Amino acid sequence: MLQNFSGPIRLAIEKAIGAGVPANTIVLLLLLPIVAFVIAFSRNVVGIRGFGIFLPAALAVAFVATGPVAGIGLFLVIVIVSTVVRLTLRKFKLKLQYLPRMALILWAAVLGVLGSLFLVPLDVSIFAVLILILLTEDFTRVQIGKSVKTALSLTMETLILALISYFFLTLELLQNFVLANPEISLLAVGILDFLLAKYSGLRLMEIYRFRKLVSSK
Amino acid sequence: MKLSNILGLNARTQLYTYRYNSRRSKNIADSKIQTARVLRTAGVANPKIYKKFRRAEDIYDFDWESLPDKFALKPSRGLGGEGIIVVKKRLKNGNWLTTQKKRISVDDLKLHTSDILEGAYSMGNIPDVAFIQEYVGRHKVFRRWAYRGTPDIRIIVFNKIPVLAMLRLPTRQSGGRANLHQGAIGVGMDIGTGTTTRAIWGGEQIVFKPDTKYKLRGIKVPMWNRILDTAVRASIASGLGYCGVDMVLHPDKGPMVLELNAQPGLQIQLANGVGLKRRLERVDELEVRDSEHGVAIAKALFTSHALPQRFEEVIKIKAVEEIRIKSSEGKKKKVTAKIDTGAWSSAIDKKFAKALGILTKDKILWYKDKLSSLGKESRPVIPVILWLGGKKIKTNMTVADRKLLRYDVLIGRIDLGGFLVSPEIDKKDLVKAKW
Repeated sequence: MLQNFSGPIRLAIEKAIGAGVPANTIVLLLLLPIVAFVIAFSRNVVGIRGFGIFLPAALAVAFVATGPVAGIGLFLVIVIVSTVVRLTLRKFKLKLQYLPRMALILWAAVLGVLGSLFLVPLDVSIFAVLILILLTEDFTRVQIGKSVKTALSLTMETLILALISYFFLTLELLQNFVLANPEISLLAVGILDFLLAKYSGLRLMEIYRFRKLVSSK
Repeated sequence: MKLSNILGLNARTQLYTYRYNSRRSKNIADSKIQTARVLRTAGVANPKIYKKFRRAEDIYDFDWESLPDKFALKPSRGLGGEGIIVVKKRLKNGNWLTTQKKRISVDDLKLHTSDILEGAYSMGNIPDVAFIQEYVGRHKVFRRWAYRGTPDIRIIVFNKIPVLAMLRLPTRQSGGRANLHQGAIGVGMDIGTGTTTRAIWGGEQIVFKPDTKYKLRGIKVPMWNRILDTAVRASIASGLGYCGVDMVLHPDKGPMVLELNAQPGLQIQLANGVGLKRRLERVDELEVRDSEHGVAIAKALFTSHALPQRFEEVIKIKAVEEIRIKSSEGKKKKVTAKIDTGAWSSAIDKKFAKALGILTKDKILWYKDKLSSLGKESRPVIPVILWLGGKKIKTNMTVADRKLLRYDVLIGRIDLGGFLVSPEIDKKDLVKAKW
């Protein structure tokens, strides 16, 4: 590849790493725009919806820290606990104000995570767990006003998006490439983002959804 | 059908809602209270609002006992029909009965109203406004097809032209609500006649109303012209260039606008078996004067021309036939026409059309660009009613200067379904060339 080419960003990166910035952080930062593009692509071209762009990306980063299996496990624990709490509150018609109610859900989520860590001792950093717990608020907010069925399928799709993003984040080939060619990767992603924004064709899942229209005459 | 005829989410957002709906008009559509205000100012029929609740005090100051027997309690910025209570009857003990057959007391209504004010049903839990609205019952034509609730009609209006329509019938599964996601039936409609064509339920095409023998196609919705006209006027009043207008048919007062959607769903394409994108592209650049013009264009373009599979009998005609054309005064005027199976659309002479009174500014549907040896020419297209071989035909004709041609009217293939054309010409009809 373009090993001989040393652009200004690459030189700056080398300097920063020399001065003690962890290489891992820089790689993750460089990969983040790619992940964001992949998520936007999955939504606008494939048709996987998910909860926005931040949630799956943050989940993917958390997965990198905890490992995918433990990450998904903790994620599911948190989603289940927060949903159960929310539905219980609704069932008993306990009318609580928004912030105290969120605090209560967070309280339950922490209990759930603590319980799982007691059952299955895992070596996870507090930041990954914190990200996962903080995502609860977004989930709860999105779930309100939507039916349980859509909330469930959205959750599943978010998980799929996070796993795809995780795959890109941990791809060694890609890691080496962005570190060696930060200029090319940043520029290319910017252009791709722009092109994606201009795409107005059907999404793959829409082609499936409207398949009967296409096959008729 | 081609894939490119179908409207997807990307195209809807980028090509239509972003481009044709201003921020101001979106705000109007997002709030039912603002929608009602704008419609009232423009004189577009919509259900009366009896009372608005903006602050918690309003709930306690209001005399709930003064409410009528039938009404609807709604959030102004509710999503997907959530948070709406519709009551149909007052019980002896002072409680009400909802359309879903639940008993409800004044205290229940107060609690529900305060839930709405706190934003329980609005996007992002933003504090909302609640209101009590006139109850719109079911028109008797829908009695057999709708379960308990009131069916509504969704009409997509673009560029002041109604392009696609769908009747939504509440079912047992939808709990009397007319929302497709909640289990209502979506029935496609012919824009030209207001007759239902086909139906979907839960993503599958169906022929009968579930668990019954009632066919879903062929329901004729009354007051169709007024429905289309009201929908277009609502879109003009709100300033939404591309929108879905939800209408109900009041049993006595006729069509009313319930709400406006700045981002109408795409399922209407499945219900109709029609791609929306193609229709939108077809009407994109037409200049539309007013609602009446928009409806006339829609009827001319989107009446289903699907020819019946078998004709009762084939009508034999000759290559030149005497036809009659309806003048603006309703008189039938005789004229000899050339039957031209080599042409697609029909044409009429300019002078002749003017004499009939059917070529005036307010009757022109649109202009058609025609390339000829004389360069580019813009020819008006007008609606025409004619009788050929004893059959009444409603069609559109291109107006052209035919004074050098032998016949003032030419009938093209579009109007010749069910006819058998013989090549001979009666002597009396034969016209000599004019040059």
